[in-house]
Amino acid sequence: MRYIKLPSENFGKFFKSLEAWGSVYAPVKRGGIYSFQEVHDPAEIALDYNRTMLPPKKFFFRPKEAILRLKNGHWEENLEAEPTVLFGLHSCDIHGLKILDRVYLDEPADPYYKSRREKTLIIGISCMPDEYCFCKSLGTHFAMDGFDLFLHELPDGWLVRIGSVRGHEIVWENGELFEEVTDEDLANFKEFEEKRAKAFQKEVPQEGLADMLDLAYNSPVWKKYAEICLACGNCNLVCPTCRCYEVCDRWMDAYSSVRERRYDSCFMENHGLVAGNYNFRPTRLDRFRHRYYCKSYFDPSSGYNCVGCGRCDEFCPAKIEHVKVLEEVRGSLK
Amino acid sequence: MSENPYQTYDARILEVKDLTSREKLFTLRFLDPEVEAKFDFRPGQFVIVDIRGFGEFPISICSSPTRRGYLQLCIRKVGRMTKFVHKMKEGDVVGIRGPYGNGFPMEKMEGSNLILVAGGLGMAPLRSVLWYAIDTGKYENVWLLYGTKAYEDILFRDEIIHLLKHGEAMNCSVKLAYEVESPSCIYLEQGFSDRVCRGVVTDLFRGEEFDVNRAYALICGPPVMYKFVIKELLDRKLSPGRIYMTLERRMRCGVGKCGHCVVGTSVSMKYICQDGPVFTYWDALSTRGLI
Ligand SMILES: Cc1cc2nc3c(=O)[nH]c(=O)nc-3n(C[C@H](O)[C@H](O)[C@H](O)COP(=O)(O)OP(=O)(O)OC[C@H]3O[C@@H](n4cnc5c(N)ncnc54)[C@H](O)[C@@H]3O)c2cc1C
Ligand code: SF4
Ligand code: SF4
Ligand code: FES
Repeated sequence: MRYIKLPSENFGKFFKSLEAWGSVYAPVKRGGIYSFQEVHDPAEIALDYNRTMLPPKKFFFRPKEAILRLKNGHWEENLEAEPTVLFGLHSCDIHGLKILDRVYLDEPADPYYKSRREKTLIIGISCMPDEYCFCKSLGTHFAMDGFDLFLHELPDGWLVRIGSVRGHEIVWENGELFEEVTDEDLANFKEFEEKRAKAFQKEVPQEGLADMLDLAYNSPVWKKYAEICLACGNCNLVCPTCRCYEVCDRWMDAYSSVRERRYDSCFMENHGLVAGNYNFRPTRLDRFRHRYYCKSYFDPSSGYNCVGCGRCDEFCPAKIEHVKVLEEVRGSLK
Repeated sequence: MSENPYQTYDARILEVKDLTSREKLFTLRFLDPEVEAKFDFRPGQFVIVDIRGFGEFPISICSSPTRRGYLQLCIRKVGRMTKFVHKMKEGDVVGIRGPYGNGFPMEKMEGSNLILVAGGLGMAPLRSVLWYAIDTGKYENVWLLYGTKAYEDILFRDEIIHLLKHGEAMNCSVKLAYEVESPSCIYLEQGFSDRVCRGVVTDLFRGEEFDVNRAYALICGPPVMYKFVIKELLDRKLSPGRIYMTLERRMRCGVGKCGHCVVGTSVSMKYICQDGPVFTYWDALSTRGLI
């Protein structure tokens, strides 16, 4: 890794320079919530945001998109991808993208996701946890790769970690904006990280988690929460690692049709429905439990399917707390 | 060929045959000779059929890779899309992508006995195995235990009756159980009293002994069937690793992306479309919700 410093006074110029790489999106505050929006002026950015409602997955795996268009009886691919810069991703969201990568870039790669991913620059930014965050306990609070540049806040600027060749190129082409890192900067970086580590209020105890949950398959806790749950699917939509999609064909006129896909949710009754009205997850309990099992599945190559971003808690209308459910289910084993 | 896994290839319907009142057999061939030449599959794999502008659905391949130049699908009319396909005629074109899934490990089973247990529509993927085994002659003996509702519901009836009569010469013995009595069934039962009976598929196990170290069981049928059939096999001490079953789930992509076919819990999650649809009973013991 190469480390370099971006002094505060150069931030604006650095940000403008990114426009040469593509349209720049960054977190902005709209009403009470944050979201990634196209930004032209650095003053619009909410640098100290906690989390956006929709995670950055929306740039690669769209809430709704036409994947194929029917022209003269044949499907034409719709592979437009614009060069894009995603500025200000938190570490957990970078980890979330890595989990999506494992699914969507795995053979056979999803060409829509892939072309957008290849055309997008990822710039991370350091953050302070709020009451919902539990990424530290999952090891996703620090990104070691998966970004081009990562900006860590210093009292007078940013310590920049360069994570890719493209990251090097940006720094190279704007050499005059950067300085070498001093011992004082390193001390400040260390202090920030230590302060941050202490600020986490929530954690998932990981010891034997996956097995404990499996053993607690018939726990009454699942039932208790399934009864509170509204089955709205919000938690799926806002989750940076949820990626189920539904497909349908839609006629535009008598001659052309599009094949559209859109986010689906495992809370929806028809998620596991097959022919003859047979449902593999017929009850809300089945579906509620399935989501928790899916999120807590541990893949040796990419870890859990949850990165601890806290979105599902913050945006759950029934105020169901992810960590609390896991703890209670685990506790019910005693 | 396209890099896009969602792109489908034109295939012409060469023949449409009524198998029963609900199932039709479609024989297809790819229009593009290059696609046709490259398309290879294993028994137990499936394709996604694309009715452009209406949607897609997964269907097992019921022909055998030993018989090249065409592809057969047995499609039951159950809903919107399958109803649409049933209206299609010889000469019409559909889209096909695949083949998908793992299929049965045919090489690994060479030299052994195969016990095929089919319930209803489960006969479709197992027909591919059956013909593969007969055509290659690489398996010692093949039993087909087939449970069906009524005489009118027997899929590939001509072929089944042919095997009842002449299967011996091909090292293949067919047994049939039907649930609803009819004159045709009684006639069949009279002709093959040792192999045709009224009952369910598990009744066909009665009196059957097989060398559990040299046999594999391959099961396909409705979800309720698995538990009972597996019990019969375990009672005869067949190892769970020698019991293969092919499963069904809602599928959209067929390539491990859309998430619909995922089953399991925090310790083991499987994509039916990619990790399956063929699983062993060991898999079912380690992955909840598989059967
Ligand atoms: C691996 C596999 C192999 C199959 N092989 C065969 C076969 O050989 N012959 C056969 O007749 N049927 C087979 N099926 C079932 C077949 O896919 C469904 O009957 C068909 O999708 C129903 O579509 P529909 O629009 O007519 O029904 P509807 O009930 O109107 O279906 C609505 C939607 O749900 C989805 N859906 C419904 N049932 C299923 C299902 N069982 N599996 C996946 N998606 C479903 C379809 O995509 C459809 O768009 C197989 C399914 C799987 C998963
Ligand atoms: S499950 Fe909840 S906390 Fe975990 S990644 Fe998804 S939205 Fe974030
Ligand atoms: S957001 Fe909350 S209420 Fe809605 S489906 Fe998820 S857990 Fe249930
Ligand atoms: S069918 Fe889409 S993941 Fe299996």
